[in-house]
Amino acid sequence: MVEKNGASSIDTPKRFVRLRQFLGDIPLLAWLFGGLISVLVETQVGDALASLLGLPKVPVLFGCVLALKHPLLLPGALAYVSVIYIATIVLVGKITARPFNLLAEKMIQWPIVIPVAIHLITLYAIMHVWSDISLYRELTLKLTLIAIMLTLSLNIINGYMGEFSCSHPGFMSLGAYGASAIMVLFFVNDRLFGKALLPEALGPFFFPIALILGGVAAALGALLIAIPSFKTRGDYLAIISLAFMFIVKSLFENLQFMGGARGIKGQPDLANLPTVFIWLVICVWVINNFVRSTMGKALNAVRDDEMAAEAMTVNTRRTKMVAFLFAAFWAGVAGGLFAHTVRFINPNTFGVQRLAEVLAMVYFGGLNSVYGSIVGAVSLNLLSEMLRPLALFKWIIIPLLLILIMIYRPTGLVAFKEFDVRKLIQPKHKSEKEV
Amino acid sequence: MQLFFQNLINALQWGSFYALIALGYSMVYGILMLFNFAHGDIFMVGAYIGFGVATGLTALAAMGALALPNWVILVLTILISMFLTSFVGMLVERIGYRPLREAPRASAAITGLMIGIILETGNLAILGAQRIRFPSLIKSTTYDLGGVFVTNKKIMIVVVSLVLMLALNEFIRRTRWGMAMRAMAFDYVVIPLMGVPLNTIASLTFALGSGLAAAAGILFAIAYPVLDPYIGIIYGWKAFVAAILGGRGSIKGACLAGFLLGFIEIFVGAYMPSTVRDLIAYSIILLILVFRPHGFFGEPHSAKLRL
Amino acid sequence: MRKGFLVLVAILVLGLALAPCGWTAQKTIKIGINAPITGDIPKVGEGSKYAAEMWLEDINAAGGLEVGGVKYNVEVVVEDNESKPESAAKAATKLITEDEVLAIVGPQASSQAIPAGEMANNYGTPMISPWSTNPDTTKDRPFVFRGCFLDPFQGPVVANFIKEEFGFTKAAVLYDVASDYPKGLAEVFKEAWEKNNGPGSVVAFESFTTKDADFSSQLTNIINSGAQVLFTPQYYNEVALIVQQAHELGWKNPIVGSDSWGSAETVKLCGEDCYGLFFSTHYASAGATGATKAFIERYNKKYGYVPDDVGALTWDALRIVQAAIEGTGGLSGDLKKDREKVKDALAGIKEFAGITGKMTFTPDGDPIKCAVIVRISDKGEFEFFKSVCP
Repeated sequence: MVEKNGASSIDTPKRFVRLRQFLGDIPLLAWLFGGLISVLVETQVGDALASLLGLPKVPVLFGCVLALKHPLLLPGALAYVSVIYIATIVLVGKITARPFNLLAEKMIQWPIVIPVAIHLITLYAIMHVWSDISLYRELTLKLTLIAIMLTLSLNIINGYMGEFSCSHPGFMSLGAYGASAIMVLFFVNDRLFGKALLPEALGPFFFPIALILGGVAAALGALLIAIPSFKTRGDYLAIISLAFMFIVKSLFENLQFMGGARGIKGQPDLANLPTVFIWLVICVWVINNFVRSTMGKALNAVRDDEMAAEAMTVNTRRTKMVAFLFAAFWAGVAGGLFAHTVRFINPNTFGVQRLAEVLAMVYFGGLNSVYGSIVGAVSLNLLSEMLRPLALFKWIIIPLLLILIMIYRPTGLVAFKEFDVRKLIQPKHKSEKEV
Repeated sequence: MQLFFQNLINALQWGSFYALIALGYSMVYGILMLFNFAHGDIFMVGAYIGFGVATGLTALAAMGALALPNWVILVLTILISMFLTSFVGMLVERIGYRPLREAPRASAAITGLMIGIILETGNLAILGAQRIRFPSLIKSTTYDLGGVFVTNKKIMIVVVSLVLMLALNEFIRRTRWGMAMRAMAFDYVVIPLMGVPLNTIASLTFALGSGLAAAAGILFAIAYPVLDPYIGIIYGWKAFVAAILGGRGSIKGACLAGFLLGFIEIFVGAYMPSTVRDLIAYSIILLILVFRPHGFFGEPHSAKLRL
Repeated sequence: MRKGFLVLVAILVLGLALAPCGWTAQKTIKIGINAPITGDIPKVGEGSKYAAEMWLEDINAAGGLEVGGVKYNVEVVVEDNESKPESAAKAATKLITEDEVLAIVGPQASSQAIPAGEMANNYGTPMISPWSTNPDTTKDRPFVFRGCFLDPFQGPVVANFIKEEFGFTKAAVLYDVASDYPKGLAEVFKEAWEKNNGPGSVVAFESFTTKDADFSSQLTNIINSGAQVLFTPQYYNEVALIVQQAHELGWKNPIVGSDSWGSAETVKLCGEDCYGLFFSTHYASAGATGATKAFIERYNKKYGYVPDDVGALTWDALRIVQAAIEGTGGLSGDLKKDREKVKDALAGIKEFAGITGKMTFTPDGDPIKCAVIVRISDKGEFEFFKSVCP
């Protein structure tokens, strides 16, 4: 035990070490199970507990919004969060750690698909139950999940390939406009495209196709950057991509049949939570496999030294091309989902402001890491919702926080970490820690 | 022909802002290899400081405490604001960039973006949401030169910008500090070992860059006297384009690219449908970079950069 | 882990001890304000917020809102939408589901009002956008209303006014292609003008992009096109720059604007360059009478400047909501039903005398109201010049 934790306890205080030990033997599935129980508890007794603690409603985003608006309610909100979330999760996790560890040991023998599916279903169940309490939660959650896709796809270029691409809002808008145009043209009676061409009932079946076509549109747009990227690197590529973003924005401002500056509204309400979740899972899975494949290693090689990579028989052109198209495709899909969640898009949505947002999420979370993108997107999105009552000062606090993170962890919170599913779901034994 | 000359003069004025802002950007970018995304907002801060100084000086002049003609006030405003803003720049460097010197460059880019947001929001929080009109220090007179209209402001702006650019060029080329900066741009690992104080040079670079941004801000405010906290953003990004287009660390290049950007925007707006101005202007820039992948004066080897 | 348990208990006890602070048994009506406090147009957000504060003051002075014989406390919840569509949708959803507001006023700009209106309509909450001129905001949305006239009305008003007043036949337009309000109005104006004066009579139709500061190339083209008048439906910060640059480039003909000029800042930013120009708007602040005058003076006294049209329109929107709530004849306490009732009451308002003029609502939720042509006097005040009613 001393050897194992000794190294890490040099800079971490003893209390944390003990906490880690205490929680260390809980496998992921037990955590998820705890989460599920806690959100179920919330649906049952949340209202009662909230009114007992004097809160007007169930605290929507972990009590932060409430506590900032009425500081006197802070202890109440804190109590609510610790009882419903922290205590329940830890308690359930701790109690069920043993059976779930046994289960995890079994599962690791099975084909990987089955345990992964079990975990994902549990995760989805948590989200579903949690967001069922309030539509606001659901919207925030959906936009957060979409932000993860976006961040992840930008991480391919900026993290794995090591370029500084500023074109992501452009890809996103190509995807958003592509998917919206298809869906609105076929399924909505609309001012721009006239009567619906197909019955509305077919919408859900066409939606994935529309999203994919939107992604393809974005990928085609990415050719405009991918081809110059053969010769141009680094800073010069950064401004090519920035110019691309301006070009796309200006293009949509001028396309009258796409609504011009007025944008497109009334996308069918098909991006519900399960749809977004499934797309996100596919996206994470595909991107994770991509970056862990030889292709992903080739990307890293190109980043570290293009010439050496070339000498080591990496086809740099092909690598760059694939990376750009791939990233753009996912950004486009995310854009399509975004358009169908907000149900309105205009060219201004995809400007420099969005660029700053996406870049911040990528670098905050961590380069070269799927974990990092998830952490970055989730934390920045939730944070900006939770600090909403601060209005103006929100935009001083969040940047300050980001600066501090950059100073203390220059590559982001969780950089250069591989996302290994097997490692995640493996059983966690106390005995292992105590060796 | 008359139309052409009119547009030429318009483009000269517009280009000189881009050039001045790009110059400040290029200083930092060339010497410290940083994307200074806060530059556009320093430009904004410079304009606001200029507003404060100009208002203060005119009030003093009106009270009779300082009997100065308007052009002296103008010169004083520019100089004082450049001086004050250079401290803002040094502060930004100290807080946002110095701790990140060993970090990947992109991380510093993010701190730059964030400092920019803080400057904007801070301004909004302190001064409120109303826009500010910059006092008109010189009375605008329009000269009609055979159908081409030129104002005294335009002439002054172009002249002052050119003077500042030349002064900077001389500073970099002829002084010891300038030489230290050029050396730093050449190699900032070895040069500090030869006794050049890295931190001082970094501060100086930011001070100079921010001073130029302040000058650009005041000239901008004289020509376009409506200020709001968000004016800097778009110019920051465009200066980024111009500075890199010019080639890394090239003062000449940044100037040229700044003017080029201004000329492209004005002439595309004038001779093509103005709705597609951005589309065409940026396509031109994209094309330039496709055929000159290292900008105007950049060297190919410098493109292999660590990000 | 006993310590952890103790901490938990301590927090719980503290929470329970302070719980009574949150218990409120009074009946309250909540009104949401969805405004751009940060982002591109903070001034608009400020105007909306101030108008709401003043309105709340009035209500509180009267001891609450009386609906069907019961006095209710009123609470105004201001939510920032950061001038972003998705943030506006989130803010609207939050107001509807978390704050449980009875009705929402705002967002102001169309790009935020359209997505927010979608949420409001889906979740059955009445919403009035005081300022959004895009037809899409209210179209096919029974729960969404607006407080201002639409472009298809204002465009012809201006076109006809110029024709009658000056008798010009050649006009130029300068507008922001990336912003939907100026773009929509510019197009409607062009159509109306060409209907009056024949095709090709809009001799220059020039545009720029949001945040541009230099309009010299466009203005040079306009001047060379031989236009007799320039119509520019821009926001006041751009108006100042456009007018000044036009004069510097030798433009001597009239420049005419739209209701987006209707802010005290137009004159403050533009100075003498704007004196003598005309624009169409909702009301004229100089020489206003009655309630309008009282509102302007009160606002001016409280916040130190003459309110923008946004402030006045927000005020009217709030008063319309108030009238609708009072018109329901009693609330049941069931939010869903009450919102439905308020919506019906809003749609049923026959005529409303607001400070920006009398208005009635079409089935789409759009008001029918008069426009006013205002002249900026030589003292920089907005003088009433002419009234045009549909």
